[in-house]
Amino acid sequence: MAIVAQHTKFSKVAWPVLAWAVGLLFFFPIFFMVMTSFKTDADAVKPEFLFRFTPTLENYTNMTNNYDYWRFATNSVITSVTATLFTLFVAVPCAYAMAFNPSRGTKDILMWMLSTKMLPAAAVLYPMIFMAKSLGIYDTKFLIVMVLSLINLPIAVWMLFTYFKDIPKDIIEAGQMDGLNTWGEVREILIPLAWGGIASTALLVFIFCWNEAYWTVRLTTIDAATLSKLIEGNRAPEGLFFGRLSAVSTAAVGPIVVLGWFCQKQLVQGLTFGAVK
Amino acid sequence: MANRTIPRLLQTPAIVLLLFWMLVPLSMTLFFSFIRYVLASTNRPEWTSPSISNWRGFGNYQYVWNQDSFWLAIHNSLLIVCSILFLTVILGVAIAILINRTFPGRGIVRVLLISPFFVMPAVNAVLWINMLLDPVLGLQGTAVAGANDLVALLRDAPVVGSFFSLWPQFEPISFRATQTSAYAVIMMVTWQWTPFAVLILMTSLQSEDQQQKEAAILDGASRWSQFRFLTLPHLARPIAIVVMIQAIFHLSLYAEIEIVSRGNGNKNLPYYIGELVNNNIGAASATGIFAVILANIVAIFLLRMLGKTLME
Repeated sequence: MAIVAQHTKFSKVAWPVLAWAVGLLFFFPIFFMVMTSFKTDADAVKPEFLFRFTPTLENYTNMTNNYDYWRFATNSVITSVTATLFTLFVAVPCAYAMAFNPSRGTKDILMWMLSTKMLPAAAVLYPMIFMAKSLGIYDTKFLIVMVLSLINLPIAVWMLFTYFKDIPKDIIEAGQMDGLNTWGEVREILIPLAWGGIASTALLVFIFCWNEAYWTVRLTTIDAATLSKLIEGNRAPEGLFFGRLSAVSTAAVGPIVVLGWFCQKQLVQGLTFGAVK
Repeated sequence: MANRTIPRLLQTPAIVLLLFWMLVPLSMTLFFSFIRYVLASTNRPEWTSPSISNWRGFGNYQYVWNQDSFWLAIHNSLLIVCSILFLTVILGVAIAILINRTFPGRGIVRVLLISPFFVMPAVNAVLWINMLLDPVLGLQGTAVAGANDLVALLRDAPVVGSFFSLWPQFEPISFRATQTSAYAVIMMVTWQWTPFAVLILMTSLQSEDQQQKEAAILDGASRWSQFRFLTLPHLARPIAIVVMIQAIFHLSLYAEIEIVSRGNGNKNLPYYIGELVNNNIGAASATGIFAVILANIVAIFLLRMLGKTLME
């Protein structure tokens, strides 16, 4: 009651209006990009066509000719999906062991894993180029998959650990009584119970892989170049190509933004390593 | 027996991989930072291969330390990181409180607000510097031209005309210039990361003790003192986490710097290293070690805080 009484008539109207205004303001740049992607390059820079224009799909249909979009998109999909699967393949057993059979060192190992995430990428840039070139894997998808997996492994282990930790141990013990081995425990108990946690970890890792811009730009030239590299290499000076640039940008971020909407909640746990719930 | 072996076995791949990732490249950087090592040199071809016989001791560190551009890069790194932190925390708290109340369409507003966070950094930078901030062809150019037209129109208006005729022409700002490019980066990253702060602070607000708040209202506490003495202390921890996580991410900003102005006026530490890597590996490595030290100062605080709550 007291809470309700505090809301004056004014704030009842002004509050939602303000909230909507802020929401729309933050979304505006994305809206503007999507809108520009439906203008021709010539119209995109003319003020008289700012909001009134004849929409065209030409920028999207020409994406392959203009930018070779699908080759970069294919690379992004292959590297991100493979890296996500590989990360989970390594992280799930690790987090499982840490959550259900913690030893005295578990906490320290988790902390150490997180600390690898804080290593500034630029500090090890040259050694990475050097090693990749001497091993002959520079500009290969294999290299990008490995790097993406390694930079996301700590986050995946942490996220999965915080999910697994919440599963009651009794259930696992009951499974052991029934004669399940470790693999059986994972398959019969852990995966069904932690399915949501595993899925959202996968989603988050995938988003991070997709958006990664440092290593994918610095360790590729042509063969393994991803969408980040494509956009970075086509930053259209002097606005000649705003329309087509917007189209390729929209195509690059659209799927991920939509995916992101579905994992807002998990994002908090994943990004704060379980410290804010 | 088997009880201990299997868990260890399961953890091994992750630990080995990360150990490799942590130790091998970093020890190479450390080694390179103590030798003379350049990629191309006609006078001293012996420096072009990494060898212990080119030992330089702390020479690379000394060289980097005495470069003005190194200090400029540190200055830019800190300016960019601190400005973004300041803006995202203030905006984050305000917006989190704003949308913590129920109102029609709250779910949609949340979705709109969080969206910028998922935009890839390269697209973020291209979008802002071209379509939005370009002084002539971007939205900024259009808006400034529109404002000038409006003022010109009002100059001929009856009563207020004499007032508007005193107004100067508005000049659009070029955000690719040396003086302004850092602000362009700050702006676009703030846009992208404010949603992150909002998301975390909002999650934390939902666990705020409502009974305590109601008691405070019954006692006649003002809105401000409720915020100051109940909400803000409750948010202290999540704010600290937001600050530290962002600090770690933003210390390594790269794509935005590259796209906005290729380091002109906003060159931060990673970008400076990226330039040195084109030839002077020794100096690049020494700068890298400085960057590690800087990141560690932040990391220690974060790990301490997370460590406390880890096993709860």
